[in-house]
Amino acid sequence: MEQAAAEPLVHIRDFRMDFGSTTVVKDLSFDINRGETFGFLGSNGSGKTTTIRALLGIYQPTGGILHINGQPFSPENGDRLGYLPEERGLYKKESVIDVMTYFGRLKGLSKHDAAAWSHRYLERVALPDKAKLRLDKLSGGEQQKVQLGVTIMNDPELLILDEPTKGFDPVNRRLLMDIIDDQKKAGATVLMVTHQMEEVERLCDRVILLKDGRAEAYGTIPDVQDQYGGTMIRLTYSGEIPDSPHYEASLRDRNYAELTVIGKVDEAIILRELVDAGVLVRSFTTTRLSLDDIFVKVYGDENELVGA
Amino acid sequence: MARHNLGTVVSFEVTRNLTKRRFWISTLIVPVIFGIVIALVVLSNTATDKSVNSQKNAKLTFSYSDASGYIDPALVASFGGTLAADPKAAIAAVKSGALDAYFAYPADPTTQTTRVYGVDEGIFQNGKYSSVATALLVASAEAKIGDAKLSTLAQGAAPVVSTTYKDGVEAGGIGGVIPPLLFLAIFYIVILLLGNQMLTSTLEEKEDRVSEMILTTLNPTTLVVGKVVSLFIVGIVQMIVFTLPIIIGYVFFRTALNLPEFDLSSLDINPWQMVVGALLLAGGFTLFTGTLVAVGAIMPTAKEAGQVFGIMMALIFVPFYAVSLVVSDPHAFIVQLFTYFPYSAPVTAMLRNGFGSLSPLEATIVIVEQFALGIIVLRLAVRLFRYGSIEYSKKVSLKTAFARS
Repeated sequence: MEQAAAEPLVHIRDFRMDFGSTTVVKDLSFDINRGETFGFLGSNGSGKTTTIRALLGIYQPTGGILHINGQPFSPENGDRLGYLPEERGLYKKESVIDVMTYFGRLKGLSKHDAAAWSHRYLERVALPDKAKLRLDKLSGGEQQKVQLGVTIMNDPELLILDEPTKGFDPVNRRLLMDIIDDQKKAGATVLMVTHQMEEVERLCDRVILLKDGRAEAYGTIPDVQDQYGGTMIRLTYSGEIPDSPHYEASLRDRNYAELTVIGKVDEAIILRELVDAGVLVRSFTTTRLSLDDIFVKVYGDENELVGA
Repeated sequence: MARHNLGTVVSFEVTRNLTKRRFWISTLIVPVIFGIVIALVVLSNTATDKSVNSQKNAKLTFSYSDASGYIDPALVASFGGTLAADPKAAIAAVKSGALDAYFAYPADPTTQTTRVYGVDEGIFQNGKYSSVATALLVASAEAKIGDAKLSTLAQGAAPVVSTTYKDGVEAGGIGGVIPPLLFLAIFYIVILLLGNQMLTSTLEEKEDRVSEMILTTLNPTTLVVGKVVSLFIVGIVQMIVFTLPIIIGYVFFRTALNLPEFDLSSLDINPWQMVVGALLLAGGFTLFTGTLVAVGAIMPTAKEAGQVFGIMMALIFVPFYAVSLVVSDPHAFIVQLFTYFPYSAPVTAMLRNGFGSLSPLEATIVIVEQFALGIIVLRLAVRLFRYGSIEYSKKVSLKTAFARS
């Protein structure tokens, strides 16, 4: 799996996926660089899970190239993949330690190493006394912790997490984020699907926003913020705010307004326009659009519950 | 790094099957019941032998009347009996308990019923009256014949051995039929014991939502083959557990169980038939396993998959409805149809192979058909598992499964 460091670890070009007469993903292209944390964002049904399944060979793509380390993925060359799917589950009637050891062996560890690693991990996630219990005797959150352990037990080079914090309480969410941080520090490349935008802003180096199977935005978070009018001006004032090609008033009260800047325009030019139009500006502060704002802006018209 | 996960899958699947309490309860229930039956039969037979012996040796006070003239009065006297002067008085004596029994032999004991009257001594003891009455009749007949060998021959107890020839070569007879039919017995046992497990073997991944984890960790072919191999191993363990009490019963309690001694030297083992039988068994196993796994891969739950199991079982029993035709007229249309229809072929062909009516050409065609279809269906099963197992709660149509491929 050794490749030149400059080459992206994940390379997707012109990916298309049809299910019968329905096109789920069309002409999708993006790369994930080695060592980065990549946010894969989109509303439900936008094609995220389909893309991941095609990348991992679970689905055969209708067209395009989906490579990991320069070749299509197969379990035989996927020793260092960690995948936490959206549909969670392990062998429920088996004991925690048996299931973890089994997956460890499938991922190339010896039985002894897999068992030893599993016990250490269970200590870390406060489940050392649950090792010999059947999985269906554990709570949902505890089962998720075990599944995350199975995902990372082979020291993955690429970690694909499909909604990793779904079903976790805030305490365990923090624990999970710490574990992901540790994996990043160990050099793992992380592809993360999530609807928690604060997690994306905290963890991700770059993101892609998928809408109806197409890339709506792609790049670093500041790039995406720029693409969606990146800057917002908060204004307290007296007078009448004029229309302008440089901004769009997303909120306009009697003495307070929020103006979304269109394109890359110097804030000073906007201030000059307002003053020239006779607006008495009492305060003028600029801030960047949050990913949450952008998400609502992109998907708000779909009238759909996020995270369902 | 190449991984050899087949052993890991087999080890995991076999271990978790053999460590399940449910497996041992369902496996041991048969031999335990069999053991209990053996014990009851041994106890019963021992008690019966004792009873028969005691009844034969019992000194009864009895009288008799003989319209046939066969009964030897001296013999009756040695048994302690006397000739009844008046049958009605004899019956009255029995009723009052003054006499243990009264036997009324008819003019023709071979077609008419011998009447036995006795004092009731309970259901198990009352048999002694008819035992003594019968013993008197047999001993009197033997005395009239006057020759022990003639007497034995009269009872039809003469050993006869038949030798038949087919195409100028000595035919095996029933001793030649039994060995190749053992493969048929094994086929039935394996399919009946393991069929349902085969059907549900890949359902667990779907029901437990573990399919995606597995598919990205393991080649589905390895998983399916691993499951089939482990099921076969589990089946062998079950067969050993099932047959052990039978072997123990035969070896150590044959006499007590009144089991006939089985002379293995009478078996005629034809190498060609044995090879054909073994190949038909392997081919049929491959086809049925592949089919059951494929069906399981597209079903969402064990309950729904179970409905298909009945149909599969019917297919292996259908040829038995025409078994007399299979034996007597192997070239009849229905027999030919059953011989070549893939799912009735293993049983029909194994039956015909046992009875020596399966030609080398027919055997070759059926064996090739079974293996070829079996491999195709197994590959289809892997494909259906790959693309159907992530449709967690839905029944997957072939069209849907192939739309994802």
